Amino acid sequence: MTKIKDHAGIIISCAIIGVIASVLALLGNPKNMGFCIACFIRDTAGGLGLHRAEAVQYIRPEIIGIILGSFLCAFFTKEFKSKGGSAPFTRLVLGFFVMVGCLMFLGCPFRMIIRLAGGDLNAILGLVGFACGVLAGVFFLSKGYSLKRTYKLPAADGFLMPVIALISLILVIAAPAFIFFTEEGAGPGALHAGIAISLGAGLIVGALAQRTRLCMAGGIRDVVLFKDFHLVIGFISVLAACFIMNLILTGATGTSLFNLGFAEQPIAHTDGLWNALGMFLVGFACILLGGCPLRQLVLTGEGNTDSAITIIGLVLGAAFCHNFGLASSADGPTSNGKIAVIIGIAVVAVIACVNTFIKPKDSKEVS
Amino acid sequence: MEYIATFYSHFGAIKFNKKCESLTWPSRMMPVPRALSSSCGTCVKYTALADSWCPFDAAPDEVEQVVKITDSGYENIYAAKGS
Repeated sequence: MTKIKDHAGIIISCAIIGVIASVLALLGNPKNMGFCIACFIRDTAGGLGLHRAEAVQYIRPEIIGIILGSFLCAFFTKEFKSKGGSAPFTRLVLGFFVMVGCLMFLGCPFRMIIRLAGGDLNAILGLVGFACGVLAGVFFLSKGYSLKRTYKLPAADGFLMPVIALISLILVIAAPAFIFFTEEGAGPGALHAGIAISLGAGLIVGALAQRTRLCMAGGIRDVVLFKDFHLVIGFISVLAACFIMNLILTGATGTSLFNLGFAEQPIAHTDGLWNALGMFLVGFACILLGGCPLRQLVLTGEGNTDSAITIIGLVLGAAFCHNFGLASSADGPTSNGKIAVIIGIAVVAVIACVNTFIKPKDSKEVS
Repeated sequence: MEYIATFYSHFGAIKFNKKCESLTWPSRMMPVPRALSSSCGTCVKYTALADSWCPFDAAPDEVEQVVKITDSGYENIYAAKGS
């Protein structure tokens, strides 16, 4: 009974997140993409003109909402702490390659779950790759991997990202001429729920994720390291709630939100090997970063500037992926994208080795 | 006395736990309890079989916070400078 009570908060919170993800797809977001942190950051990078892929340009209010929801929750519960200084440039590079992996698979770990809930079986290959990547990261953790400690910073540093989120919100509402919007019918960037709905959804998800510490990578990590299933239960709760809601909404509205199979899935390709390798890169890098893209957004709202740097790495990665043809499409992965994923796995492995096996003398107590 | 120590990195937790084991202090690594922190890192829950909470001569740099487990919750014992 105590066990159930211990997990009740995360089960209910994540069920709400799953329902929101399903409803957003009904209200205008792309199918199987009620939420996708990587895709939405990519769209936002496009909206700000950092890449010129016309199909994916829109400042997504969900991203703004998650940062602000987490910020408000942390602020009023006195958990907001401005801190940083733990290998920021390494984190930027890791964030960059997380995005390269996500745009190979076409989704972050959060969307991977949402794709599964929508019947997209390609996401199973992604999940296998992601779990293997997490295991690779856990191997280095258990051998002593560390990016060193964080430090308390002036409060203003921690407020910067929430302020940038607010400015982004003003930009998407005011829609000045220098902001890019995908034209109607020109691609996924044109598919979105209303600004208020998207922002509200983001605020709720940000607040719930801050309270529960929901993290897709952390869930598998905790099972492997500690046999602790708390976060994975949240993972499963999102999947179950989104799946059930997809079926209910499909039956009630006639809009198909569930399509079981590999082929003809929304904003997805069927190349299993590269779906798996892309998510392997994501899982590996996320463990070295200490959390998945959703968790990084939430930590940013709590005042963690290391996570803010990681988000900048994700934005940079998104811009590169679309400026240099690295991102996959429904037609499949590109040659450039495959090369980038291989380079990414190599770079992440080097970062893992350097920060595990090369340490100051006083730190060499762990074999 | 039972304590929970939180760390800046998983590496710090491994070192601390190994030291506890070398002193035969009962200890285990686990996720940081939500009531203690919004961080999702690793902590060490251990029983100090000595007067001091610290298994080292001085608190290692990697230790962020140490709390004593009491009937009413947690009692702060140590917080690193600059944390």
